[in-house]
Amino acid sequence: MRRHRSAALLVQTRLPVVLALTVFTIVLALPFAMAVLWSLVDPSHPWAYPAVLPPVLSFRRWIEIWTTSALPQALANSYLLAATVSVSTLLLALPTAYAFGRLQFPGKATAQMLTLIPLAMPGFVGAIFFSALLVRFGVYSRFAGIALGHTVIFLPYAIRLLSLSFAMVRQDLIDAARDLGASPLTVFRTATLPVLKPGLLAALIIVFILSIEEFAISYIVGAPDFTTVPTILYSYLGYNFIRPNAAAISLILVVPNVLLMLIAERLLKSADPATITGKG
Amino acid sequence: MPPHALTIDEASLSFGRFQALKSVSFAAEQGQLVTLLGPSGCGKTTLLKAIAGFLALDSGRIEIGGHDMTGIPPERRDTAMCFQSYALFPHLSVSDNIGFGLRQQRIGEAEIRSRVGTVAEQVSLVAQLAKLPGQLSGGQQQRVALARAMAVRPGIMLFDEPLSNLDAKLRDQVRMEIRALQRQHGFTAVYVTHDQSEALAMSDLVVVMRAGEIEQMGRPEDIYRQPKNRFVADFIGTANIMPVRVIGHDAASGLHHIESPLGRLTVRSEIAPVAKTIFACWRPEDAVLVAAGDETGPNRATLRVLSRTFLGSLCDLIVVTEGENPVSFRIQMHGFTPIAEGERITLSLKPEAIRFLGEAAE
Amino acid sequence: MSASFSVRPYLLLLPGLLPILAFMSLVIGMALSQSVGYFNFSGDSGFSLRFWHTVLSEQQFWRAFWYSARIALFSSLLSVALAYPVALWLRRPFAGSDLVSALIKAPILVHGLVAAFLYVNFISFQGFLNAALVHLGLVARPIRMQNDPYAIGVVILQVWKNMPFAFLILTGPVRAIGDDILDAARDLGAGAFARLRRVILPLTLRSLQAALILIFIGAAGDYSFQSVAGPTSLNSLAQYMVRIQQDNAGHGWNEAAVIAVMLMGLSLFGSAALAALIQFLLRRTGR
Repeated sequence: MRRHRSAALLVQTRLPVVLALTVFTIVLALPFAMAVLWSLVDPSHPWAYPAVLPPVLSFRRWIEIWTTSALPQALANSYLLAATVSVSTLLLALPTAYAFGRLQFPGKATAQMLTLIPLAMPGFVGAIFFSALLVRFGVYSRFAGIALGHTVIFLPYAIRLLSLSFAMVRQDLIDAARDLGASPLTVFRTATLPVLKPGLLAALIIVFILSIEEFAISYIVGAPDFTTVPTILYSYLGYNFIRPNAAAISLILVVPNVLLMLIAERLLKSADPATITGKG
Repeated sequence: MPPHALTIDEASLSFGRFQALKSVSFAAEQGQLVTLLGPSGCGKTTLLKAIAGFLALDSGRIEIGGHDMTGIPPERRDTAMCFQSYALFPHLSVSDNIGFGLRQQRIGEAEIRSRVGTVAEQVSLVAQLAKLPGQLSGGQQQRVALARAMAVRPGIMLFDEPLSNLDAKLRDQVRMEIRALQRQHGFTAVYVTHDQSEALAMSDLVVVMRAGEIEQMGRPEDIYRQPKNRFVADFIGTANIMPVRVIGHDAASGLHHIESPLGRLTVRSEIAPVAKTIFACWRPEDAVLVAAGDETGPNRATLRVLSRTFLGSLCDLIVVTEGENPVSFRIQMHGFTPIAEGERITLSLKPEAIRFLGEAAE
Repeated sequence: MSASFSVRPYLLLLPGLLPILAFMSLVIGMALSQSVGYFNFSGDSGFSLRFWHTVLSEQQFWRAFWYSARIALFSSLLSVALAYPVALWLRRPFAGSDLVSALIKAPILVHGLVAAFLYVNFISFQGFLNAALVHLGLVARPIRMQNDPYAIGVVILQVWKNMPFAFLILTGPVRAIGDDILDAARDLGAGAFARLRRVILPLTLRSLQAALILIFIGAAGDYSFQSVAGPTSLNSLAQYMVRIQQDNAGHGWNEAAVIAVMLMGLSLFGSAALAALIQFLLRRTGR
């Protein structure tokens, strides 16, 4: 009976876990390993069929990309843009998120639905006609144009994340603080901010990542003279497919964002009010 | 002789190191309502889930209608459960909820409709058939759960604390309804509860469990009158449990003489005491108030009233013995009793009201 | 709700909601007006249906339209079909389940263009897949798989990127189904398939539809996967729209606007039809 049960358990859990790990290796780990290898191929010793592994590995390709391509400029553009966008998005999202998270009013559900509309808009439709609008209104700064577009299309994410944070602030703590004679500032510092802070930081990071990754607006509004990391990657993937360069830029695009995302996730988990106030 | 409707034979089950069931055995006759009674963690719900088939036994067996259920999954067992949470399907109407089990049996649509109608009538839900569970009150949801289980006409009905989410008044009413339906339709039922009054009121057979083992089983009145040990005496009703020393036995009258915190007492018991020093118990309602100076009643003791609580139909008194080490007892008097706190009263206990428990003291 | 009507909540909504509504209505308004000849950047502006006529009578447009519709349909159905069983399997936690669900969600963190590159790199002439096939003796020489004419590569990429997303949407609702509900169904005689069809699927229908709709819209408007890994002989609608806008100097904007409106229509009605179909099928089979 016992043996039977553990055998069944094995089939039910272990086997799929092994299967999942295998699939993961094939669809994620191997391709990434390939990308790393390709970015390390020495330019003077090309990797060509039938060689199974690159003949010589070096960082020369990375140095070359950094010194000869528009990558440093694209990185600067992307990160400056992302910083601007995350701050402006958050500032705009805060009041609305507060209303969604802490107030009751007629039409709230409809308003919440309305904030989600940008998610249903095909990215390139938005990008092209947004660029038409920029022309019409005479906004010729690429940076300002892209920043404006990003701010609006990422507002839904920021509003949603911050509403959840605001909803987690406990009214009883606010009431208790006020009951004990705390000033509005003290109430905010003791009852609201600790709960809000992780959510704020997480929203900041997530909008930052979304902005760095955004392609449609950056490409349509920015091309050809304003490059961001995704548009430069796209240029290496298109008609002139330069594999080692694409490999290197892929890693530059993915690795920092994954690290940032892990931090954001940690923050969102710690935002549980129970862990902050010590009771559930 | 037909097989028992349900037989549990040395059932054992553990979760990791925790032994939830330790070689439990009992049997239920066709048409009986058996309650599994005990505090939380005693294994009663585990046993119910094992009967339904949600948990597999480590050893021992469960038979339903004479058939061994080992290895048979829940969907192929002839049981139907009323869940504590009701577990109604939120997306289905009351009528579809009740008909759910029948549809699994591939019964014709017309037959299903008529059987759903009949059961709905029995539990007075006809007006609610088109509603969704979310639109019903707690009591109505409870009845849908009951109707859904009854509709499949199972060999065994299983109840997992079905009344615990109802308020006190509704609980009494639904309890009576379940018992009436069970008697009327003659289905065999296993009923899990931690509420001893529910168990006493409903059961043909009460199985008292503690820590995965059966402490005692029997008819409600037998368990109440003659609890086997301190746990059962204390868990079922209220009991005054006291350590006593047996000092003699009079074969002619059948009376045992004991030394107790209430002084020297005589005890008439079919069960012989298992040791010289032993626990004995008596129920609060067995004490009779005797007028001061009246010397006729047996087993008289004089005590001081510590507190008095008027409960309407009865009066609850805490009384203490006088002397070096005061011992307190609880007694209940019917109706209004004009006794003040601090007053000294004399009580009398019939020899047959005092029960030896099967446990030696120390 | 307090008796006195307060404007404060609505004032607070303005900073967040106003930009969104302004942006959306201006963008959609711009597309709609340009499609019928208004707001031209060159030449006269004025109402005209000729751009609609030109685009809709273009063979290439319809090929792109149905191609995008097909990709969106396959991608959304496949992603959800793969994500659903996994969400069910991970309903109850077990040793290793956290790791598995983290791994499943990993592709969400990988940029679409990076995913496209990884895929192309994987299947290319010099890629791992070809190397493996040659070493296993399955083929004599590496085969060309890039930009396959059936757009299998695009669907693979869509599913690779969207299956985790569907998993993310479905996992909460699947976990929210109480054990008691499933136990009750079992107890009443429902086997694994009956439980899926009559309890689990109906209870998760809304999220199932949400996942299908969002993936459909994303895949219908795809540009990057198509241009990196898609068939060279075909255009997706978004690709076609960008091409027309850039190539056609005279009224590129107007024709691109027509395509944009059609793409929005496809996203809206296509995904709604898909959601309705799923609901209809479920109503038919399960009660």
